[in-house]
Amino acid sequence: MTNAPVVFVVDDDQSVRSSLKFLLSTVGLHVESFDSADAFLRKNLPDSPSCLVLDVRLPGLSGLDFQRELGARKINIPIVFLTGHGDIPMSVRAMKAGAVEFLTKPFRDQDLLDAVRIALERDRTRREHEKEVLILQQRFDSLTSREREVISLVVSGMLNKQIADQLGTAESTVKVQRSRALEKMHAESLVDMVRMIEKLNGPSGRLR
Amino acid sequence: MDVHARDPADRIKQLQHCINDLISVLALPAMWSGGEPSRIVQTLLDALLRMLQLDLVYVRLKETGGQTPIEIVRFAQSQQDIAQPHEIGEILEGWLGANPQEWPLLMRNTLGDRDISIVPLGLGLQGEIGVIVAGSGRSDFPQQTERLILSVAANQASIGLQEARLRSEQKRVASELDQRVAQRTTELAVANEELRKEIANRKHAEDDLRSSEEKHRVIVETANDAVVSMDETGAILIANPATRRIFGYDPIEIIGKPLTMLMPEMMRKLHENGFKRYLATGKRHLNWQGIELTAQRKDGQEFAVEVSFGELTSDGHKLFTGFIRDISERKRAEDQLRASERNLQMTQAELARVSRLTAMGELTASIAHEVNQPLTAVINNGSACLRLLANRNLEPEVLRRALEGIVADGTRASAVLARIRAFIKKEPADKNPLDINEVIQEMLVLAGHELYESQVVVDQQLTTDLPFVLADRVQLQQVLLNLIMNAIEALASVINRPRLLLVQSRINESRDVLVEVSDSGTGFDLEIDRVFNPFFTTKAKGMGMGLSISRSLVESHGGQLWATPNSPHGAVFSFTLPAIEGTAS
Ligand SMILES: Nc1ncnc2c1ncn2[C@@H]1O[C@H](COP(=O)(O)OP(=O)(O)OP(=O)(O)O)[C@@H](O)[C@H]1O
Ligand SMILES: [Mg+2]
Repeated sequence: MTNAPVVFVVDDDQSVRSSLKFLLSTVGLHVESFDSADAFLRKNLPDSPSCLVLDVRLPGLSGLDFQRELGARKINIPIVFLTGHGDIPMSVRAMKAGAVEFLTKPFRDQDLLDAVRIALERDRTRREHEKEVLILQQRFDSLTSREREVISLVVSGMLNKQIADQLGTAESTVKVQRSRALEKMHAESLVDMVRMIEKLNGPSGRLR
Repeated sequence: MDVHARDPADRIKQLQHCINDLISVLALPAMWSGGEPSRIVQTLLDALLRMLQLDLVYVRLKETGGQTPIEIVRFAQSQQDIAQPHEIGEILEGWLGANPQEWPLLMRNTLGDRDISIVPLGLGLQGEIGVIVAGSGRSDFPQQTERLILSVAANQASIGLQEARLRSEQKRVASELDQRVAQRTTELAVANEELRKEIANRKHAEDDLRSSEEKHRVIVETANDAVVSMDETGAILIANPATRRIFGYDPIEIIGKPLTMLMPEMMRKLHENGFKRYLATGKRHLNWQGIELTAQRKDGQEFAVEVSFGELTSDGHKLFTGFIRDISERKRAEDQLRASERNLQMTQAELARVSRLTAMGELTASIAHEVNQPLTAVINNGSACLRLLANRNLEPEVLRRALEGIVADGTRASAVLARIRAFIKKEPADKNPLDINEVIQEMLVLAGHELYESQVVVDQQLTTDLPFVLADRVQLQQVLLNLIMNAIEALASVINRPRLLLVQSRINESRDVLVEVSDSGTGFDLEIDRVFNPFFTTKAKGMGMGLSISRSLVESHGGQLWATPNSPHGAVFSFTLPAIEGTAS
């Protein structure tokens, strides 16, 4: 299911680019490099765990602006920032915006490899989570609107009888709709169902 | 038969009988034709016993051709079983010698209660076949005719027995021959089979040998490594063609010579001792698989090799083969890599020192970016090579490309450092007539990257034909760069107005050369003069030394450095330098 991970390197310095590619390749990582943010944005991203190794000082779009741009495009790729000289406020901002690591050039090879490994692992986990949410979403979409109503009330902690009263139906009908909804969601228990709804309400879910 | 007839009629009758008997005897061979000796003898004995009315007839056949001796005796009906054949034989033994010529014509003995006359006759010309003995109790035995018949019968029997013997001998020989042939045939068949197998095996082995020999030969002949074999005395027996490429010796030149000639002088004794010790004790004092040693070429040049040894015992003699790989390239690459890294470390240390010394953190930050890019590439490439070297997974081509990159980036970094060193000299001021505009322009170029990054718009208003100033170029550069960098930093946080930097040069009222660096940055909050205090800084990474150093540098040139607020925003830093009279660029 999982394709080979890809590391994208964006740096305007050709030497740095090719040396990064060489270094990352020694641990068997597949690397694709770009000389600008725009070149990277033009690329269709593969369906595999990936991360971005990004120079902060890019001509045109700065690294941090680029990070913002990616967020706006809903590209949730983990970023390892590289900079020529430690810039504390900049690194703080980058880390707050979800950067995995902020490395000052030149860095120890192990530090970069560790950061990349963490970034790829983070992306892999995120992708898995997203796939799971997608499946739950599809199941949730297969519920009738009444079943959804019942479920949201059940999850909010109401008893069958209260739900029946609120919806103006018989308690037995609510029971049937509730158990059918659980079945459609593949929920083993009410606790399981609550967990699923929480996931659907989470950051990568559609429910609000 | 009545053999005592006296009258002629009786005699005629007698002869008639004799002739009949003779005919019967002569007919005997037809009866026993093709028979076995024992059957011939029995037929003969029966015929004689009946014809001559004998009391006993005995035959003994000597053993011939592997046949057991035969003794047969017949008695007349009345004397049945009176004696055993061997008893008769024992009696006869005493009378009959080896030569039948000397045998008595007639012998007398008792058989049972009767006296009998016994006539012995040899079988075969010399009695070589055996003896036939006829005995009768009659007093007139043997009559002449009887003797005749006996001797004819004996002759006939001799011929028959001779033939039989011959036949049996032939048969025996034939069957023996057959047997021998058969045996030989099976032996041969087995031998053939074995031979075939052996041939097949040998052929197989030969094929194997040929192909493995061929393989080995091809491997050895075409190997990149030198393959050199030596015997127990340390003399070279075999050297492959690669030896020439690696050592410079033609294989023929070194065969028979001591192996030590391929080693540098100082290694030879060591090798000889080690080798002797090994032959004596079987203890290896070094690893036989891939040890790094120093070898010596024909031209005397020493180089690094990786050697693996193999030992082979053949006919009780030991043969040692070394596979020698020239690793001087690899060594050189490793050395180069190490040197590059050392260089790099030195460069970094130098940079750190320079950065500390100049107390211009932000300047060095700008320069650091320039230097750090190539340094990053060098370190990445070096680290990657070290990783691959550690895994013994580094292809020469990959290594070469990485080293080329390292060299290029190292050069790039050192060029930047050279530029820094050029304006931060540690020597005392070296004052020369200078065109200040030239220095200003140089510094704007050097700070170009920073200016561009910070999106600063630069304006230069430089007065042409300015008089020269007597100044230390590097120190002037340092002053200008510090002012420019401070301006850039003061502009960095400006967002709602243009980021402007104006650099002017002109002659002031006192005929000094005046330089003004103005910006539209944050400006000053309070007491302007504090900025010249050592260690006054409002920056996270600043040292607060830039302006204090700059002021002392300007003053050491006989000038002044001061600050004023710009209008409507920002700061202006101005300095003067005395002009050299009567010069203009
Ligand atoms: N162009 C300017 N506009 C506004 N403030 C300035 C300007 N130049 C200098 N300053 C103020 O003066 C302080 C001292 O400057 P100075 O160059 O001596 O040290 P620094 O720049 O802080 O550190 P460094 O020793 O790295 O140069 C600065 O921290 C800053 O607050
Ligand atoms: Mg300064």
